Amino acid sequence: MLEYILRRVLWGVAMLFLVSGVIFVIFYLLPSADPATLRAGRQASPDQIERIRESLGLDRPVFIQYVDYMKQIFFHFDFGYSYQYETSVSSLIFDRLGPTASLTFGAAILWLLMGIPIGIISAVRARSLLDRSTMVISLALISAPVFWLGLISLYLFADDIGLIPILPGAGSYEPLSAGPIAWAGPLILPWTVLAAASAAVYARYLRSDMIDVMGEDYIRTARAKGLPERKVVMKHGVRSAITPVITLLGLDIGVLLAGNAILTESVFNIPGVGRLVLDAIDKADLPLIQGVTLFGAFFIVIFNLVVDIAYAYLDPRVRYDDL
Amino acid sequence: MKRNKALAVGVASLSIVAMLALASCGGSSGTATTDFPLPTEAPSDAQKGGTIEVLSGSDIDYMDPGASYYQFTFMIHYAMFRPLLSWPPGETKTPQPDLAAEQPTISDDGKTVTFKIREGVKFAPPVDRDVTSADVKYAIERGLMPGVANGYIGAYMDGLDGFDAAIESVESDPTVAPDISGIKTPDDQTIVFELTDTTSATLIQALSLPVSAPVPEEYAKQYDSESPSTYGDHVAATGPYMVENDAKGALTGYEPGKEIRLVRNPNWDSSSDARPAYADRITVKEGYADSASASRQILTGEGQVNGDFGPPPSVLREAATRYKEQLSLPTSGGSRYVSLNTQLAPLDDLNVRKAVLAATNREALRLTAGGEAAGAIANHFIPPDIPGFEEAGGFDGTGADFLEKPAGDLALAAEYMKKAGYKSGKYDGNDELLMVGDDSASSRQIGEIMLDTFQKLGFKVNYRPVSQEIMYTKFCGTPAAKVAICATTGWLKDFNDAESLLDPTFNGNNILPSNNVNWPQLDVESINDAMAKAALLTDQDERTKAWADIDRQITAQAPALPWIWDNSPVIWSENVAPVINLFNATADLSYTSLKK
Repeated sequence: MLEYILRRVLWGVAMLFLVSGVIFVIFYLLPSADPATLRAGRQASPDQIERIRESLGLDRPVFIQYVDYMKQIFFHFDFGYSYQYETSVSSLIFDRLGPTASLTFGAAILWLLMGIPIGIISAVRARSLLDRSTMVISLALISAPVFWLGLISLYLFADDIGLIPILPGAGSYEPLSAGPIAWAGPLILPWTVLAAASAAVYARYLRSDMIDVMGEDYIRTARAKGLPERKVVMKHGVRSAITPVITLLGLDIGVLLAGNAILTESVFNIPGVGRLVLDAIDKADLPLIQGVTLFGAFFIVIFNLVVDIAYAYLDPRVRYDDL
Repeated sequence: MKRNKALAVGVASLSIVAMLALASCGGSSGTATTDFPLPTEAPSDAQKGGTIEVLSGSDIDYMDPGASYYQFTFMIHYAMFRPLLSWPPGETKTPQPDLAAEQPTISDDGKTVTFKIREGVKFAPPVDRDVTSADVKYAIERGLMPGVANGYIGAYMDGLDGFDAAIESVESDPTVAPDISGIKTPDDQTIVFELTDTTSATLIQALSLPVSAPVPEEYAKQYDSESPSTYGDHVAATGPYMVENDAKGALTGYEPGKEIRLVRNPNWDSSSDARPAYADRITVKEGYADSASASRQILTGEGQVNGDFGPPPSVLREAATRYKEQLSLPTSGGSRYVSLNTQLAPLDDLNVRKAVLAATNREALRLTAGGEAAGAIANHFIPPDIPGFEEAGGFDGTGADFLEKPAGDLALAAEYMKKAGYKSGKYDGNDELLMVGDDSASSRQIGEIMLDTFQKLGFKVNYRPVSQEIMYTKFCGTPAAKVAICATTGWLKDFNDAESLLDPTFNGNNILPSNNVNWPQLDVESINDAMAKAALLTDQDERTKAWADIDRQITAQAPALPWIWDNSPVIWSENVAPVINLFNATADLSYTSLKK
């Protein structure tokens, strides 16, 4: 097991190298704005732009820039300096992680609380009216763009512009240090919006897997042994069917922490990683793009690892020692 | 040209989208739309105290006054810093003394400009000392350092004696601010600018921008030695407000992309300043990506004004009817145009260009910006409120027949195509024209309209929408990219002088291999010579007339299709008593107050 984890960590590190290299290549080879020109302003002469390019170290060969960058990360945990904000990339990212984590974990809890029971009930009562209506609703939620859903929720419930002004609206995010109520209140709408589509996806996944699993021989055996139906469903059915959902959860959390909650953060003005990376791309801020991407890749690797470990607990058929 | 919240010329995409999407809501003219209030003075009973909130989509460009070059940043910076000259809310003609004690004196030969600066102006904590003339000299000189990279002193102050030597000096050591020998400080209250030619008119206007706000060298040089300079994280204010900071000067009230918290500068002396500074605090709340909900929040909320975005069409319509007293439409001092590459066949033919201009429906283009309230339809390049506008023809235009009909004139276009040698009145060559435009939603509409226009004239066009930064840096700003049409270009004044609008953009001597802003690559000797002469004029009337004449000459060359002189909507909450700064076309935070 330990060897397996070690091997996965090493693979993760290799992947981070790969990701960082790919980002460098994309930035330099594909058309993108020139950071030196953007910094110089519209009326700068080519000489002035060259001086800026030199001062930012952008005149050096790309490979040298890349090696220096990676050295700084590995030996000093220094992700460089944002061209746009004129401050260290790591401080910017750490500053934005709190809001993104608040949004992500809260929404994840919510979509699990909604998606799993709906998935189970739909599977157990497959083709019933309840099943069909929950699946139609879930399809609608999956189809609704987060941006649209967010705006609708603001126009309905936000305490400043809403028709029924009962919940804090855009720009009201407070950190946890402001107190649990002050923190959670402004997140209720974003959590709900972000969780809605995911809950629907999880419900459909679980339903589909559960229907397959509930037709397996060992389920029939369990029933034949006289186990109560609740136990059959929860202990044998759900436990087996939920593993793909766990995989999905790990990826989703990793991806959201990497900045993929960008639309939700934008609509609700939550100062998270997603909005940071959007601004960075707009301004061709390579150090910041690189930093956020590496952090994102790191989270995805970590959560994949967590998922693999969770398998061992949920599915006894997995024998990590044999891997 | 500083970045503008309205023009598609280098602004974060969300704010551009918002601003370009003005609504058609009636009542427009060239200058501010008169159906709406345009307060340029505080009410007599304006009250002190309270917090004004500024909502914005994105962050300012730079906190460092030496680097900032963005209309929204200037809105904040004019409340924090005191340049030698600045623009009181209602002033549109001449910048007024700010840090300077009086208007500058100009020597008889027009080559020496002398300022006396006010006594008793102090830097905010932790610097806590009186401002001297040396602080202004350092502020300008550090702008040449690549770590600060001021975007306009190279264009407007290169006439200073010793400017080239200073550039050589900074090339050899980019960590130290170079000495510009033409800036002299004979005593603590006097600063003298010595020019190699009579370019004092431009210099004086440029000294009304934040780069002339003093910077204390002994405090800033440790930050300036880094690249980029980190002085922006430690700025020392001189105006009525400062960003919250700690004992060492590090800004604790600036969270990039999130919030800027301005508080009163304890060292500011109201007796030395015309600004009343009514509010106790100003908080800039950033990240409002959806301008519609943010605008509604302002209109229905309390104590708020807009920052870098304007209300989109639906909200502007609502504001113009339900919240009429909470909307103002000052002119931005800029125009938008479609640039045609005058060096590239077949657009190198004047008649072809005239045909394109004649054929285009500028009313349709203006609808992409929101219609009438978005601004007047442009027909030359000096916008309203800038000296030379009326003299160049005002709203009636210069008389060019190809710009006479705003809805387009296909018959006239066909005539011009025939004059260009295309007997059918349509292009019959094989060249495919590359058209590049910004890829925001409203800019794509502009691209589509132009695509349709060119196709009607028989052209084959390869239309490439790209991000705005890429459009300027990789395509339109790089002549080697051989872009025939830059569909979404525009230019905003830096100050109220036509030179800042016409010289960078249409002077053939300014065509650069990269970062070129003469997008049409217009290079007409008579125009270049006229600009060289006009730049040296110091008499305002002569100057105005000369630049108006240049505007007519440029328009006659049809290097670009001007289609709108933008308005810049300002909105506020009901309990706010706003004062609009006509120069910056935003709320003036030093004069705006909360109602009782």
